[in-house]
Amino acid sequence: MSVNKNLKILIVDDFATMRKVIRNLLKQGGFENVVEAEDGVAALKVLKSQPVDFIISDWNMPNMSGLELLKAVRSDDELKALPFLMVTAEALKDNVVAAVKAGVSNYIVKPFTAEVLNEKIEKIVKSLAA
Amino acid sequence: MDYAELRREIDEMASSFLFLEKKEIDIPTAGQFLNQIETVTGHAETLLAGEINRLAGGLGQLLEKVVLDAVDAAVGFGLFERGIVLLQSVADGYCNAGRYDGSIDGYMGELAGAIGIPVEANREEAESGAPQAGEAPAGADAASGSDRVQDESLLKDFITEGLEYIGEIEVNILNLEQEPDNKDYINAIFRPFHSVKGVASFLNLDGIRTLAHDLETLLDKARNEALPVTPELIDLILDGSDTLKAMIGQLRDEMEGREATAVIDTSDIERRIKLAEQGADLPKQPKKLGTILVEEGVINEEELEQALERSQIPPPRKLGQTLISEGIASPKDVSRALRKQAQQVTDSNTIRVDIKKLDDLIDMVGELVITQSMIRQSETLQSLGDRKIVRDISQLASITSELQRSSTVLRMIPIKQTFQRMSRLVRDLSKNSGKLVNVVTVGEDTEIDRNMVDEIYNPLVHMIRNAVDHGMELPEDRIKAGKPERGTIKLKAFHRGGNIVLEISDDGRGLSREKIRQKAIKNGLISPTDALTDQEINRLILLPGFSTADKITDVSGRGVGMDVVKQAVEKLRGKMDIQSTEGKGTTFVTGFPLTMAIIDGMIVKVGSERYILPTVAIRQLIRPDRASYNCIVGEAETINVMGRLLPLVRLHKLFDIEPVNRNPWEATLVVMEGEKRSKCLLVDEILGKEEVVIKNLGESLKRIRGVSGGAILGDGNVGLILDPEGLFEMAEAN
Repeated sequence: MSVNKNLKILIVDDFATMRKVIRNLLKQGGFENVVEAEDGVAALKVLKSQPVDFIISDWNMPNMSGLELLKAVRSDDELKALPFLMVTAEALKDNVVAAVKAGVSNYIVKPFTAEVLNEKIEKIVKSLAA
Repeated sequence: MDYAELRREIDEMASSFLFLEKKEIDIPTAGQFLNQIETVTGHAETLLAGEINRLAGGLGQLLEKVVLDAVDAAVGFGLFERGIVLLQSVADGYCNAGRYDGSIDGYMGELAGAIGIPVEANREEAESGAPQAGEAPAGADAASGSDRVQDESLLKDFITEGLEYIGEIEVNILNLEQEPDNKDYINAIFRPFHSVKGVASFLNLDGIRTLAHDLETLLDKARNEALPVTPELIDLILDGSDTLKAMIGQLRDEMEGREATAVIDTSDIERRIKLAEQGADLPKQPKKLGTILVEEGVINEEELEQALERSQIPPPRKLGQTLISEGIASPKDVSRALRKQAQQVTDSNTIRVDIKKLDDLIDMVGELVITQSMIRQSETLQSLGDRKIVRDISQLASITSELQRSSTVLRMIPIKQTFQRMSRLVRDLSKNSGKLVNVVTVGEDTEIDRNMVDEIYNPLVHMIRNAVDHGMELPEDRIKAGKPERGTIKLKAFHRGGNIVLEISDDGRGLSREKIRQKAIKNGLISPTDALTDQEINRLILLPGFSTADKITDVSGRGVGMDVVKQAVEKLRGKMDIQSTEGKGTTFVTGFPLTMAIIDGMIVKVGSERYILPTVAIRQLIRPDRASYNCIVGEAETINVMGRLLPLVRLHKLFDIEPVNRNPWEATLVVMEGEKRSKCLLVDEILGKEEVVIKNLGESLKRIRGVSGGAILGDGNVGLILDPEGLFEMAEAN
């Protein structure tokens, strides 16, 4: 079973270049249906305005951090089942454990390759489908 | 809450484990278990169920390791399965008997072994699931990957956005300096480094990634209160962000096809970061070779700048090589300066001492000096005529004065920090006013009493504001005037005599003497017929209420003029001067005593009283001839001092003392210089010069006119320290 490449993916990061990096990596994996938001607040707006299938969010952002966004998503009845991939700089134990407890689907450590990103997405989507 | 409920929670966990579809704990599942375990340990703790607490806690740690890929997933799964079963039987025991009779030690030992030992052998399997996590530096595998992102447009975006982000750091650091405990500010500085690091890691910019990462780690420690936010730390962060900026700037130059400059050396800043992380006191940055050579007078600043520029021309050479090969400095001078530089690097044997302790020490030394001086002058001892005692006492005197000298030096610190604060202020102010200003500092290592640093801060801030706000032109006006768009403000410090001299110069529009003159006439400060020298006109801006700016701005138009600065400087026994050329710029020169604790005084005698006059204010000591004395009836008495008629001030009159001599030609005259006038002070006798330790007279006697303090003289008696300006005002009031 292969993952539907037409998934609508939301990239959340305050650093525009980083969003572009992730967008490029996704494109290499065949995912081209992408929207962007610059922080948690903006991300929630996007999520409320259009259907999104997958969230890739940075950890450290102004206004609303990735963890706060995750908690907001998980406590929202309409959004709580959304796959959520957290991007972190290092696998800092405290950060990762906090995200895992808050219900993150998986996490990925910067820098990553297109293959690893692809694998993470497939793993998450497949486990949901199962 | 009781044991039964606790067991139900554990059973729930066990049943959700049983229903797992695959023999694998994925991340969302681990998240659920972690939350359940947290509840269980919490309850076990309140119920004092020690084994349950330990066991569940251990299982939580195991899950964390599984999540972080630090334990092989299959091994973790097996261990967890057995752990849950054990947990259930322990809970049963508590439920039935209130205790568990078996032992969990065997399992716990196994668990500790699995958690504690890194699973190197199983890496390959873990690799397929996730990139290597844990403590290994991120990025090693991805960076060498085949599909690394080396897209030119990405690089361009990174340069623009990165520089912008790092620019924000400077603004936030100003805030942090004011509120070192504010976590929001630390976060706001942390984030740009973090973001830059993240993207740099994708773009394979290793140098930038490493430095940004190290700075981020440093800030993280500050955020977690593992490191205090000290001015040194702030300087280090600023230096770090400057280096980062330079590295990104270099990247931009390369992309735009400009000639590559020498690789930026980050080893020094990295070393400082490492030291700071260990919580070590930050060592002073070693002086640059050029600075040492300028200080030694081997080359001047202009030669240095030119040589530095030439050293940059590829192939880049070291400054020393350039100087020697061009015959500007001799090899001997350069090697001596290099040795001096090397000494500084190793010179970090310092300790931190509370300033209060130093103050106490210096005070006590002051007392000691006075006491030894009293002993020396004791008539009883002198009448003994014992040569050995006389010799010993003079030995004591030289030791105490050496002790006093070295203890005063203890409190001396370089002016560097003050200059850095000023540089930042300039950056901030110029940003607000849309002006482009560079800051150049010279003589940062000049030392000043720690207690003076705070005192001189406000006058300096005001002068800087004045320079940016009134002195500097807007970029377009500068171009029109044929000057470089970017102005320069130079801060310079050096020692002269017992003073530290601080110069603040700008290359702005300079003082318009015509404007000042007109304004002064309008305000009635001078009359149109007054012939004033350029210097005198410059000094008019120091008079109360003077302001020539057309527009009141947010920075210096608070109705506070340069007169306040002048007063503040004088309160510190400092002097102030202005040099200015219209169109070229203005220099404020201020001189402060190195310390407020000691004054170089001249002891004078009037009748039976003794007073101390600050030596800085004394121009001359004279005994005039009769002919130079003039007294016009109903007018002031004057003395002709080398062609100038100076008013005579009779100290005995001011203080109502019976003098020995009333006639100036029989007494001694001290020519004293005040703010804008000089006067002759009539005293009976000059007793000598002495460095005295200033004692203030206490709150109630603070406002006595003409007297600025007291001191204990060598013979143990108290002498009052006179304030020339105050004396002049008293004389003029009479």
